[in-house]
Amino acid sequence: MKKKTNLAPYLYIIPGLVMVLGLVYIPVIVNLVYSFFHLSSYSSSMKFVAFDNYRRLFTSDTFPIMIRNNLYYCIISLIVQVGFGTLLALLLESRLASERFKTICRNIYFIPSLISLTAVGLMFNFIYNPQLGMLNTLLKNIGLAGMQQTWLGDKKLAIFCIIAMSQWQFTGYITLLMVVAFQNVPHDYVEAAIIDGAGPVRRALSIILPLAKEQLLVCTIITVIGAFKLFTEVYSTTVGGPGNASQVLGLFLYQNAFLHDDMGMAAATGVLIFVITVTASIFQLKVSRSGEV
Amino acid sequence: MKKNLKKTLSIGLAAIMALSLAACGGSSPDAPAATGTGGGSGNETKAEAGGKDVKVIKLFHRFPDDPCNAFIEKKIAEYEASHPDIKFEVTSAQNQPYKEKIKVVVGSDECPDIFFSFCGEFSERFIREGLLMDLTPYLEADPEWKASLMETQMNEYTTADGMVYGIPFRLDAKEFFYNVDMFNELGLKAPETWDDFIKVLDAIQASGVVPIAEGNQDKWPGAHYLGALNEQCVPDDVRAKDYDPKTGEFTDPGYVQAFEYYQQLVPYMNMGVNGMTHDMARLGFTNGQNAILFAELVEITNIKQENPDMNWGMFKFPTIPGAKGNPDLVSGAPEGFAVSSKTAYPDECVEFLKWFLGAETGAQQAVEVGWFNASLGVDEGLTDPSLISAYEVIANAKKMDIWFDNALYSTVCDEYLTQISDITNGDVTPADAMAKIQKVAAEAQSLAQ
Repeated sequence: MKKKTNLAPYLYIIPGLVMVLGLVYIPVIVNLVYSFFHLSSYSSSMKFVAFDNYRRLFTSDTFPIMIRNNLYYCIISLIVQVGFGTLLALLLESRLASERFKTICRNIYFIPSLISLTAVGLMFNFIYNPQLGMLNTLLKNIGLAGMQQTWLGDKKLAIFCIIAMSQWQFTGYITLLMVVAFQNVPHDYVEAAIIDGAGPVRRALSIILPLAKEQLLVCTIITVIGAFKLFTEVYSTTVGGPGNASQVLGLFLYQNAFLHDDMGMAAATGVLIFVITVTASIFQLKVSRSGEV
Repeated sequence: MKKNLKKTLSIGLAAIMALSLAACGGSSPDAPAATGTGGGSGNETKAEAGGKDVKVIKLFHRFPDDPCNAFIEKKIAEYEASHPDIKFEVTSAQNQPYKEKIKVVVGSDECPDIFFSFCGEFSERFIREGLLMDLTPYLEADPEWKASLMETQMNEYTTADGMVYGIPFRLDAKEFFYNVDMFNELGLKAPETWDDFIKVLDAIQASGVVPIAEGNQDKWPGAHYLGALNEQCVPDDVRAKDYDPKTGEFTDPGYVQAFEYYQQLVPYMNMGVNGMTHDMARLGFTNGQNAILFAELVEITNIKQENPDMNWGMFKFPTIPGAKGNPDLVSGAPEGFAVSSKTAYPDECVEFLKWFLGAETGAQQAVEVGWFNASLGVDEGLTDPSLISAYEVIANAKKMDIWFDNALYSTVCDEYLTQISDITNGDVTPADAMAKIQKVAAEAQSLAQ
């Protein structure tokens, strides 16, 4: 007797598949195609230019600045958000403080990441304002007037001011994600380690962190991807300035698409961001040997 | 039983997903419109007014803040009341998002019938694609209307081949605003030449006040200085050739000279020019920390809000004796509305603009909003001396020169803004800056073809 093919599972897959295809894969492919053309959003004409968009992208004066800024953001975010955030999570899950205190801390750390990026950008515009801003006023009042800066207006400092703002906002988010992962570590293992005489540091390094490895990996990947998609933080503060000093790939893409009507160039930048983030993610998955315990 | 429940649940979930997908697809073309203030109600009107005889005109503008937005809404309601066959769908967005949204909708089928459009390159790129309606025949057919509009302003909405593509809604120009009390205390007069200007700045600085309030974080305020300096340092025909993306080279020595004059001003500006926005810098002026502000006439409304008691005056950009440009030009441009070439109701749109941007509405607008349109005589009802003097600046202008950042092709503009920002920080020399701009201008020649 021939077994009747069960169609039901496939039917269930269809909506999701259509969504992923329509909203992710097809746009990625179309974007790749567009990157070989010269076109704008309101014009019907499309001109094939082969690799000219890529040539212009890679030879642009801004290109090294953008890559440098995105890398700074990536590296600093990995150290502060993932590194320091995980450390905070370990402290919050340790037996050092009372439950109540830990809950309060968790909430305090997490709240900044709930605020809209644009609002944070505006707020930091005020904080960094050279004349009226909080930061310079604070420095003056504690007797460090010599350390006053123009912050977002300074070529060397602008990108770091933006990065600092993001660290303030998102460290608590990573902390929360890691806290959840640590809470999922079975208590039996930790208790067994305690009985064996392992101290808090040993427990963290040998039991808790390895068991939360997958979550740590997720946090690393979202941080790296976020670093290369960086946009709103820059757009709401310096818009790439002064000069081009704080230009990043995401903003460059946006400005080409909607300011310079150069959709082809924007598509080429999009492809570059895609390649960087996919490569970084694959690399991380390989290095961390995800799935193995 | 349990299995059945699971099945129903899965089908339900799948259905929800499919629906949400459909919703995503369906809503995207409307997305720009949905952000406007009047968007929601506009769509409903369309549904209700399903009858054949009601004409729906879509209008998209960039003045979502009051008092202007309220004024536009009021005027449109009046027009609808007197024209029962016409309904408006009004949407609006803030300046920056507006510039992006209009570019996306203008080429689509969702293009508004009437929309705000800056004059110059901003609109001309649409004209190159045939997206704006030629208003010249309507003006020719109604000589009275044509004669009622200020010629210097209409020139800005006319292409080199004589096509009129927009009617001004508000007129604007850039002037130096100064603190009259501070000037009187120091015994200073509003300067007329560049050398006088520098002397005035020195005197103010010597008194312990930072002379100029300037915030260039958004990069365009610096461009307005350079635009005004280029007017004076570079002959008109050379600028006209260079500002056209197809022939732009920027090799005239006057451009470097303009940068050098700008450099002279930087030491007189407040600290951290690139680190604060223009609005913040204006607060420095209105709070009395600085004596001079290079600002637009439309900002008079803001200055009055920020410090109603301030005693301020205006002077024209100082002339540079011996420079090769045109010292009579006034930096500034009207901002107005254009009609889509795809509109189904061209006559109705023009008829509305005639009234909306006409003398009667304009006079009310001048009093209620503090902005003037291009119809002659809109200043008649004015009592506020500062607005009267602002109107004089424009009415007396022999020729306007459109905002520098609106005049340039976008990539050239971007490079220029970047270089101005760097020069303000002292990171590049004028010659190096111009070399970079020349490179981008050469590249733009091929992009703009």
